[in-house]
Amino acid sequence: MIAFEPTEDQALMQGSVAQFARGTLAPRVREFERLRAVPEDIRKLAHEMGIGLVAVPESCGGAGLGLATSVLIEEELGAADAAAAFGLAGPHAFAAAIVELGSEEQARAELAAFGEPDAHGRFGAVAWSEPKPNKERAGFVTTAAREGAGWKLTGKKAFVVNAALADRFVVFAQVDADKGWGGIGAFVVARDNPGLKIGARHDTLGLDAAYFGEIELTGALVPDEARLTAPKDGGDIVRATLRFFAKHALVVAARAVGVARFAFDIAREHCDTRKAFGKPIGHFQAVAFTLADRLMDVESSRWLVWRAAHAWDAGLKEKEALRATAQAVAQALESCMRCTDDCVGLHGGSGFIRDLVAEKLMRDAKQLALCCPTAEQMDQLATALEIGAPLDPALVLPTPDAQAIFT
Amino acid sequence: MIDFVLSKKQQELKEGVNGLGRFVIRPMSLEMDRNHEVPEAFLRNFMKLASGFRSSDVAEAFGEGTPPDKRDPSKPNETNRTAAIGAEELAWADAAMLLCMPGPGLGGPPVRGTGTPEQKKRFFGMFQDMEKGPLQWGAYGLTEPNAGSDVAGIRSSCRKDGKDWIINGRKCFITNGARACWTVIFATIDPSLGRAGHRAFVVEKGTPGFFVGKIEEKIGLRANETAELVLEDCRVPGENLLGGEAAYEKKEGGFMTAMKTFDNTRPLVAAMACGIGRAAYEYARDFVKDNYVLSRPIPRYAALAERLARINRRLEAARSLYYRATYLADMNIPNAKEASMSKAAAGQAAIAACIDAIEICGAHGSLSSEHALLEKWFRDIKVYDIFEGTGNIQRIVISKRILTDLKAF
Repeated sequence: MIAFEPTEDQALMQGSVAQFARGTLAPRVREFERLRAVPEDIRKLAHEMGIGLVAVPESCGGAGLGLATSVLIEEELGAADAAAAFGLAGPHAFAAAIVELGSEEQARAELAAFGEPDAHGRFGAVAWSEPKPNKERAGFVTTAAREGAGWKLTGKKAFVVNAALADRFVVFAQVDADKGWGGIGAFVVARDNPGLKIGARHDTLGLDAAYFGEIELTGALVPDEARLTAPKDGGDIVRATLRFFAKHALVVAARAVGVARFAFDIAREHCDTRKAFGKPIGHFQAVAFTLADRLMDVESSRWLVWRAAHAWDAGLKEKEALRATAQAVAQALESCMRCTDDCVGLHGGSGFIRDLVAEKLMRDAKQLALCCPTAEQMDQLATALEIGAPLDPALVLPTPDAQAIFT
Repeated sequence: MIDFVLSKKQQELKEGVNGLGRFVIRPMSLEMDRNHEVPEAFLRNFMKLASGFRSSDVAEAFGEGTPPDKRDPSKPNETNRTAAIGAEELAWADAAMLLCMPGPGLGGPPVRGTGTPEQKKRFFGMFQDMEKGPLQWGAYGLTEPNAGSDVAGIRSSCRKDGKDWIINGRKCFITNGARACWTVIFATIDPSLGRAGHRAFVVEKGTPGFFVGKIEEKIGLRANETAELVLEDCRVPGENLLGGEAAYEKKEGGFMTAMKTFDNTRPLVAAMACGIGRAAYEYARDFVKDNYVLSRPIPRYAALAERLARINRRLEAARSLYYRATYLADMNIPNAKEASMSKAAAGQAAIAACIDAIEICGAHGSLSSEHALLEKWFRDIKVYDIFEGTGNIQRIVISKRILTDLKAF
């Protein structure tokens, strides 16, 4: 039955994360921005709350609370500082990748360390995008070649979230050059692998406190067990990768809902108090109606994100869950941009000045929209599912030759 | 918990109406539109069928949901959600037909909310013999040529004359106005009193001085009758004053409070808009599926795919808002803001869907035939951003609830 009522446990978790976000994160966002990092004391607090492993299944060493719980708390983080949400310790996209692409044993083995009491400095990362598209053929430039019983990885990866902080990566590389995107593989590479070099940090538009950078694989050798080869139910690698991106994107979308909500709240507050022509500017219809439209954006994208999270948690058909996710993510990312844009606009000139947080939200919104498959890619996915077209990886995956993303 | 899966009953209702819509209603949709009428035989059959669904909490599926005073907070039900899901599906089949359903229609809520027990018995009683007797409709007469959204501006007058009331004025855009056995007519004892001066009467068909004016030619929903009603020294007995004199003396709990229950119908209108928008979206989607070669690159194809997805997710966003509004109603939580948000979002999303769908289909999209109803949906949808409060009126309702001390603009 259609219901909008988080369970008691979910509400408790959401409440404590909200308190942490408002009380601890929000007052210090500009400090994080200057530092371009989230300080250790903050990471310790978040780690004690167990934020990092909420959605990871219990069988893989996580809390097993499901995506619905995850999106509830991610919205709260996003409503304080979406950048910090990326900079808190934890496996991040690494977890979803290994759960969807690896076996249970692999997931358990790789994720266990993130739950340890002193793991507030431990990060996981996913190396997907590359600095340049492959002009010769479909697929990655980075290759994985057989080397004895293991694999040798060679190539450059870009736009990697937490690249310099992660102690382990899921690296995507071309295994079979003739099979295009169907010939890709995923490998776990540890930070201390001699063939792994951390490259330059990217200077980005927004989400300053989050780390985005490059890594280079100079013939990194990994054992055969490091390859993630067990998409459950026999699905192919493209399908499993799509599932990974879908679940990861929902988390990003939930942060976008949080950013949109925050932008709406401060814009509303401003329109309530700022007076012009003898009355609060919110008492002019053009202003009030803009706020009304943005509230519809915030609420509807939140419900779509909840709906998609529920679809995965309830085990609905994969096609339905993917479609719900695609709709939710595209809607949330676009809504977030509209809300933050109008937030700056309604503040007028002061919205453009860094004294207020409005300008940061607008930059963060655009950056967020590139931290998971984009609205365009999600729209391609939704329509392909709707008309029963084959899921062309070049259209539905965030391939570097279409529209590169941060992972 | 958080859940977006329909209950078994809702799923059955949805599938039942969908099948009927696809195989029975849609094939006659265009003819009804051209003849400005839904055949009586069909309405009778449909009512029989609908009574099959009318068990316990599905009873209101074709009505207007549970009025707030009937809601029991200790027993949350899913009536409002189910009603909206049924309404979306029926509008998906044919929106005009839905408005032609016999029964008190929009006249129902004010009579139910404010009527005395005798009035309820008398006026609802007229719908009890429809199985054997003639079909009957009720109507709601508020709008006037010079007062639409600004309800306080109505100028139809009423004055007491002995035990009776004398009403003078003109009402326009009244759904089922000519065929209604009674219409709830709003008039004022003194325009300077604003809403406090309003009185509502149940005026019965055939009352001397109560005439039907012109039947409107509309862009869409043409199978449904929209009439002008004229009152010239129309003498209405005192017992037809809705709620009796006492209802207008109370400041709280009387007539004004009851009128607020009208917010209840907004999520239903949102649901209907979603139904029409979805019909157009599905048509365009299937058109693309059937007519485009997916195996080779077609220049416009990627753009079309994104456009289709955008239409669908905007509708889905609006649907989530009416789910939310009806959920709150079922939980007995005030939902005026959410009801208005659902209506405002759905109207716009569905209009965009109908316009985009026609463009996607190109010339084919504007042809009218039994199997291609796109041009009809395009005509039908516009009014969903107008009636039951225009998009701008919804935004006023929302604004007042998000800004501090905003009484009026």
